[in-house]
Amino acid sequence: MAAGLLALPAAAAAQTITFSITQSSISFSDADPDTTPSITAPTVTVNYQVTGNKNGNWLITVISGNDLLSGSTAIPITNVTWTATPAPPFQPGTMSKTIQQTVAAGAGNVSTTRTGTVVFSLANSWSYNVGTYSATFTFTMTAP
Amino acid sequence: MRSRLRRAALIAATAAVSFAPLLLAASRTDTLSVSATIAARAKLTLSSGSMAFADADPDTTPVVSPGGGALTIMAKGRTTVGSTVTLVVLASGDLQSGLDAIPIEQLSWAATGTGFVAGTLSHTAAQTVGTWANSGAWTGTQSYQLANSWTYSTGTYTTTLTYTLTAP
Repeated sequence: MAAGLLALPAAAAAQTITFSITQSSISFSDADPDTTPSITAPTVTVNYQVTGNKNGNWLITVISGNDLLSGSTAIPITNVTWTATPAPPFQPGTMSKTIQQTVAAGAGNVSTTRTGTVVFSLANSWSYNVGTYSATFTFTMTAP
Repeated sequence: MRSRLRRAALIAATAAVSFAPLLLAASRTDTLSVSATIAARAKLTLSSGSMAFADADPDTTPVVSPGGGALTIMAKGRTTVGSTVTLVVLASGDLQSGLDAIPIEQLSWAATGTGFVAGTLSHTAAQTVGTWANSGAWTGTQSYQLANSWTYSTGTYTTTLTYTLTAP
C-alpha cells in the first residue's frame, strides 16, 4: 500500500502553449444596409504555438461574453460571423455567447509560432437602433 | 496466503493507478474588445416621380385615380430605441393652371402597409403618411384620388408633392 502512495506522480510533462491575439480591439463602422449588407471589421491576427503535444490535439475557440449591447438595446451576437485563414487549420464560423465556437483545430506540435487571420463580419440591418454597441470576445487555445 | 495475495493485488492495483500519467490540459486565453457603431439614417424610395389624372366626366367618374395606379413607398430608418420614424407629404400649392386653381384638398389618398395612414393633401401643413416606432424598413402604397367636379375650369393643372422621412 505504501508503495502505491509513494508512486503518486507529478503531473505529466505538460504541453506548453504560446497564444495571443495581436489586436486588442476591433470595430464595425456604420454603413448603409442597402449598399453594405455585411460590415467587415479589420483583420485579427492569431499567434499560436504548442509543444509537448506530440500525440494530442489542439483547439482554438472563441466565445462572446454577450450580445452586442448599447445600454438595454442589443444586436444578436449570432449576426457576427467570421472567415479565417489558412484553412485548415482555421475555419469559418458564427459567434455564440453560450457555446465555444471552433476557430482552428489541429494535432501534434506546432513547434514554431504560426499565425492565422480572422475577419469578423456583422450582418447589417435597418432594424438596428442607433447606438454604440460593444462585446468582448474571448479566444482560448487548449491542448489536448 | 490468500490474505497476502489480496494485499499484493491491492498494492499492485494502487500502484498501477498511481503511475497512470496525470494529463493536464494546457490552456491560454486572450480577449478582443468589439464595438459597432449604428448611426441615424433615413432612406425613402417612391415608385414614380410623377402621376397624372386624366380628364373624366364628373357624373360617371366622381373620383379620378391616376393613370399609373398606386404609388409604392419604401421607407427605411434608423433611430434611437423608443423614437418614431415619420413620413410626411406637403404640396407646394394648389393644383394650378395659370391663374386657375383646384384646391389641393381635393386630392386625398388611401393607404396600405403597416404604419401607413390615409389622408388629405395640404399646402400649409405637412400631412402624415406613416409613422413607425424604432428602426426598420417598411413598404406601403398610397392610392391618390382627385375629387372630380363640373366647377373645374379647363386646363392642365400641376403641383409638386414633397415627401420627408425623418429618423430622429
